[in-house]
Amino acid sequence: MSTPNALRPPATEPRPYHFPDFSHERLPNGLTVWTVPLSDRALVSVHLIVDGGAAAESEAEAGIASLAAETLVTGTRRLDGHAFAEATERLGIEMSADSSWDLARAGFLAVAGSFEAGLELLAEMIHEPRFDEGEFDRLRQERLADILQARSEPGRLADEYFLRQVYPDDVPYGRLGAGSPESVEPLTVAQARAHHQRHWRPDRAHLVVAGPVSATEARQTVASAFGHWEGESPGHRSIRAADRGGRRIVIVDRPGSVQSELRIGHVGIARGDADYFSAIVMASLLGGTFSSRLNQRLREDLGYTYGARAAFDPRRSAGPFSARAAVHTEVTADAVRETLAILDGLQAAPPSADELRGVTDFLVGIFPLRFETTAGAAAGIEPVAVYDLDRGWWATYRDRIEAVGPAEVHAAAQAHIRPADSLILLAGDAAAVRPSLEAANLGPVEVIRPADGMTDAEGAEG
Amino acid sequence: MPQVPIERERLDNGLRVILSEDRRTPIVGVNLWYDVGSRNEERGRTGFAHLFEHMMFQGSANVAKGEHFALIQAAGGTLNASTWTDRTNYFETLPSHELELALWLESDRMASLLPAMTQEKLDNQRDVVKNERRLSVDNQPYGTAEERMQALMWPEGHPYHHSTIGSMEDLSAASMDDVSRFFATYYAPNNAVLTVAGDFDRDAAMARIERHFGPIPANPTLPAPPSGDVPDSLGGEVREVVADQVELPRIHLAYRIPPFGTDAHEAFNILSDVLGTGRASRLYRSLVRERQLAADVAAFVFPWAHGSTALGIWATARPEVSVETLEAQLLAEIDQLSTDGPTDEELARVRTLHAAAVEAGLEQIGERADRISQYACLFDKPDMVNTEVARYDALTAADIRAALGDRISADNRLVLTYVPDEDQTEDGEAAA
Repeated sequence: MSTPNALRPPATEPRPYHFPDFSHERLPNGLTVWTVPLSDRALVSVHLIVDGGAAAESEAEAGIASLAAETLVTGTRRLDGHAFAEATERLGIEMSADSSWDLARAGFLAVAGSFEAGLELLAEMIHEPRFDEGEFDRLRQERLADILQARSEPGRLADEYFLRQVYPDDVPYGRLGAGSPESVEPLTVAQARAHHQRHWRPDRAHLVVAGPVSATEARQTVASAFGHWEGESPGHRSIRAADRGGRRIVIVDRPGSVQSELRIGHVGIARGDADYFSAIVMASLLGGTFSSRLNQRLREDLGYTYGARAAFDPRRSAGPFSARAAVHTEVTADAVRETLAILDGLQAAPPSADELRGVTDFLVGIFPLRFETTAGAAAGIEPVAVYDLDRGWWATYRDRIEAVGPAEVHAAAQAHIRPADSLILLAGDAAAVRPSLEAANLGPVEVIRPADGMTDAEGAEG
Repeated sequence: MPQVPIERERLDNGLRVILSEDRRTPIVGVNLWYDVGSRNEERGRTGFAHLFEHMMFQGSANVAKGEHFALIQAAGGTLNASTWTDRTNYFETLPSHELELALWLESDRMASLLPAMTQEKLDNQRDVVKNERRLSVDNQPYGTAEERMQALMWPEGHPYHHSTIGSMEDLSAASMDDVSRFFATYYAPNNAVLTVAGDFDRDAAMARIERHFGPIPANPTLPAPPSGDVPDSLGGEVREVVADQVELPRIHLAYRIPPFGTDAHEAFNILSDVLGTGRASRLYRSLVRERQLAADVAAFVFPWAHGSTALGIWATARPEVSVETLEAQLLAEIDQLSTDGPTDEELARVRTLHAAAVEAGLEQIGERADRISQYACLFDKPDMVNTEVARYDALTAADIRAALGDRISADNRLVLTYVPDEDQTEDGEAAA
C-alpha cells in the first residue's frame, strides 16, 4: 500500500501527567484526612473508610459488616429512613455505604455547593445512626433474597462455588464477604449496632476529599463535622489463606444451561506480595486486555466465548486467582483444555519482548484515564490509605510497571500460577458436559447439585 | 449548570464533525455514531447490525485482524462499540498525543473494510455473537425480558419489534454478501457523526480529520429510514407470563410513550425518576421500604427516537409475596402518580439528582463525546447536551400531567411476568 494513510500515524509529543497532588493530616482523634485539591472540577467525591470490613467480623457473624454498613443509610436519630433519603437526595446526593474484605466505607459524590451539607449528613449518619429494627430486618431479608437470586445467575453461582471449593472450610475467604443464608438468617440489629460501635471509630479511619476544595478548607470542614468522633477500634483479624490444592474438576449442575461458566484457578497473592507488579503485569498479559492470550485464543481464534479474562484479587491475605469465561456448552471440555494449555505456556517460557511491551504500554498509558474524574482520584487514594502504601506509590507506579521484563513475568508465572494444582469449576449442565470432561482425563470430576439443597448437599460423585 | 464547548464542522463528503475542547487531563475521546441500528435490519436478518459491528474489528485495508484493539490498548487507550435500535457507535479514549491513531483506525475501516473481510472471520464472529446472546439473554434469569417486551409492544414488521441481538436462526443466515451490502449502504461519511472531545489543538485536529476522513466518498443514495409510525396507544392491555429459570418472580411493565428528544418524552423521563430513582422515590418507599413487597424496583425510559418508545418499570417480588399482591400495589402507585402528578418536593428532588447525574456524566470525556454524538446523530442538534438540565427543569407538574395524557392506562400497558419454572426444576432432578 502506498497511499499516505497506509501507515500507523506517529504520536505527537506527550503532555506530562502525574497523579494529582494530595496531602494528608491526622486529626487529634486519629482520623486521617486526605485531600486531593482539584480546583477545575465541579464535583466533590467524599469517601470515609474504616477497618471494619468482613476481615473485622467473626465467622459466627459472617455478613454483619456488610449489613451494618447498609443499615447506616436507613436513617439517623433525627431522621427516619425515608426522611434521610429525602434530605440527601434534595442535595443531589445518593449516600452510599458498603464493605469489602479489607474495609467498610461510606460516602457520596456531590456538586461542589453540596459538599458541606453532604458532609454534615454523612457525619450525622456515622455519629447517630438509627439502626431501626424494622429497617435492619428488611435489609437482612433483601440480602437473603439477593443470595437466592445470585444462585440463579450462572456467573454469580460459579463465583460463589469457586471460592467455596478453592479455600479449605476453615478459611474465611471461602465464602462471600456478604455471608451465606445460614450466617445472615440469625443476624440481629443489636449485632449490627455492636459492629458499628466497635469498628466505626476514628483511630484507624480515613476520610478522602477530592474536588475543588483546598486542604485547609477540607481539614476545617472535616474537623468540624468529625472532630468530636471518639474511640478506638480493634481492626481486622489476620486470615491464613491456605489452599485446598490438587487438580479437581467440579461441576455445579444447572440443568438446561446453554453455556458453562468456567473458573480455573487457585489461591493467588496478597496485596503486599513482593511480586505484586510482576504478577499484575503477567495477569494482564494472560487475560487483562482484549489482545490477551486467553481472549485471543478462546474468542478471536475459536469463537468459544464472548470474552475470556484472568486476574488476581489481592487482599491483605492471599485472595483468589482465576481465569474465567462463559463458554458454549458443546465446547466446554475443549475450552478447559485450551485454558490449561495457555497457563502451561505461561510457565514454560518467558513472553517475547514485543508481547510484553504491548501490556506494559497499556498499563502505563492508561494511567491518566484512571484518575480522570474526582471519583477516580479519590479511589486512587484508597489503597494508599488502607494498605499504608508509600506516599509515592502513584509517582513511581509507571516506572515499576516498566521495570517488569520477560524474565520477571516468567518468574511470576512459575511462582504464582499453578495449572497442575488448579481447581476447574464450572456452573453448567452436568449431564451435557460431564462425559467429555471425564474423557478428557484432566482430573477427577465431581458434580454438585445446588437444587438438592444448598447447605450440605455437596454430594460429590465420581 | 454544566456547559461544554460545542464547535460544529462538516466535511465536503457530508461527515458531521463536533469538537469539544477540555484541556484538564491529557486525554482525548473519539466517538463515531453511524445512523444505523437494528431498526434498519431486513426481514430474516435480525441481529445483523450488531454482528456487522463485530466485523468492524476484524481488520481493514491497512489494519490486521485484532490490530485495532492491540494498537489502541498499547497506546494506553480504552475502546469499544455498541449497537442498539437507532445507532451503532464506536469509541476510543486515549492519551491525547495518540489522537491521530484513533482517527486513522476509524477512517481506515470506514473507507476500506471490505478487502479484509473473509468467510472465516464472519464465521468466527458469528460464534462470538451467539455466545454473547447466550450470555446476556438465553442463559440469564429474566434475560429475554427486553426482547419479549419489544415483540409485544410493536407490531410485526415494525423497526422496534425485534431485539438488537437478533435470533440464532437469523445470525446463522448472515452471509458475506450481507456484509458487503450493509457496508456499502450505511458506512458512509454522510451517515455518521464524529465527535472529538478533550485535550487537542483545534486546527491540528481538524487538519488530521480532513486528511483521514476527507477522501472517503459519500453514499449519494442513502436509503430512506423505515417508518416507526404507530398509534399512540397499544389499544388494549397485553399480558404474558413466562416460566423461566428464576428464583423470584419479577413483573415487567411497559407503556408506549412519545419518542426520545421530545418535551412529551421528557415528562415520562421525569415520571420514571419520581417513581424509581433514589431511595426517596415512590416505588422504593412504598414497595421496598414500607410494604416490603419487592426486593428491588427500577423505572426508566428507552432513549429511542423514531416514532415511539417505551417507559419500562420492573419490580422483583420478595420471597413469599404473590405476584398478584405485588402487581396490584405497583399499578396503584403508578396510577396515583399519573393522576395526581408529582409534588413540588418530588420535582425538586429529581431535578437536583438529575443535574448532578448530568454533571457526573459530562465529567468523563468518553461519556461526553458519546452524548454529543447522540444528539448530533439523532437530531442534528449537538447543543442539546448543554440543555439537558434546562429541558428537564422546565417542565412543571401541570406540564407533566398534561403530557402524560391517558398514556398511563391499562389500554396502553404491557404486563410481562416472570415466574419460577417448576417443570424445569423437576426435569432437571429427573435427569440427574
